[in-house]
Amino acid sequence: MAPVIWFFGFDSLMEFIAFAIAMAVALQAMKGYALTRERTLLYLNISFLLLGAGLLVDGLANLIVLLSRFHRNFIYLSRLGHTIDFLAQLVAYTILVIVYVQQTRTLSGQIAVAALPIALLESNPFTELILIFLLVYIAAQTAINYNVSRTTNSLLVFGAFASLTLAHVFFLLFTVAPIFFPFAHISQLFGCLLLLGMLFRVNQTQ
Amino acid sequence: MIPNVQSAVGRPPAKYRSQFRIFVDIMRVIQREGNEAKPTRILYGANLSHDRLVKYLEELKELGVIQESGSNEKIYHLTQKGVEFLNNFRKVEAFAGAFGFKI
Repeated sequence: MAPVIWFFGFDSLMEFIAFAIAMAVALQAMKGYALTRERTLLYLNISFLLLGAGLLVDGLANLIVLLSRFHRNFIYLSRLGHTIDFLAQLVAYTILVIVYVQQTRTLSGQIAVAALPIALLESNPFTELILIFLLVYIAAQTAINYNVSRTTNSLLVFGAFASLTLAHVFFLLFTVAPIFFPFAHISQLFGCLLLLGMLFRVNQTQ
Repeated sequence: MIPNVQSAVGRPPAKYRSQFRIFVDIMRVIQREGNEAKPTRILYGANLSHDRLVKYLEELKELGVIQESGSNEKIYHLTQKGVEFLNNFRKVEAFAGAFGFKI
């Protein structure tokens, strides 16, 4: 189904902003790993590097399609970009789920990991559901963390993953109604902006 | 993370602390004491045996994050490098904590 045409261009811009924020989070995680050699920070770094790379590829592909004025020879790029973005997100969220599973060793997490091979087919509504499943698990873990720690930073991270989950619900609904396409991108950007807020707060820590 | 199991004597198992974490604990005790801490205060504050404390203090001195003063009774201070390290560690701790990761 064709996306909302007027929104083309804005989606790329939003993805470029989200890419920059994902890279900033990855850099912060890398700094932490360099200082502490804590592996969870390395996994966090890899996860956000992948998320950023996927967003960049998808944003660039969509931009090329837009600049080519939707020339049919370039349309496939949009699909390719989306598939690469999807696979990057799949691996990134899987890494995060595995890290949370290792910390909590819960059954639900093991089920999430066990379900992954099914997803390695191609990007479609079913595989979008897998992303939602992974994100719901991550959002639930960050919600538990907020419930325990009650800090603003943990609330921002929970809000970020909740927004990213909502974004993928909108991406899923977009296959039914194109109007959900802008909402998905806005929700995705909002989630990344919450992560940026958390980064600002962390770097102001004395 | 250590599984939540009870030991044979009915007490929870002691939590493992990495060498890195012990370094941070020692430096935090020194900072908490107003950047002037005697070995006894560090020993109790960081929950270490005397032998391990001596070993770790030597390693921290070699890293240049603490310095020793006093002749009869030794007193330990954080160096500028040590203060900066603790500030950076606090940021990393806040960042990891936001995701629910303990370091």
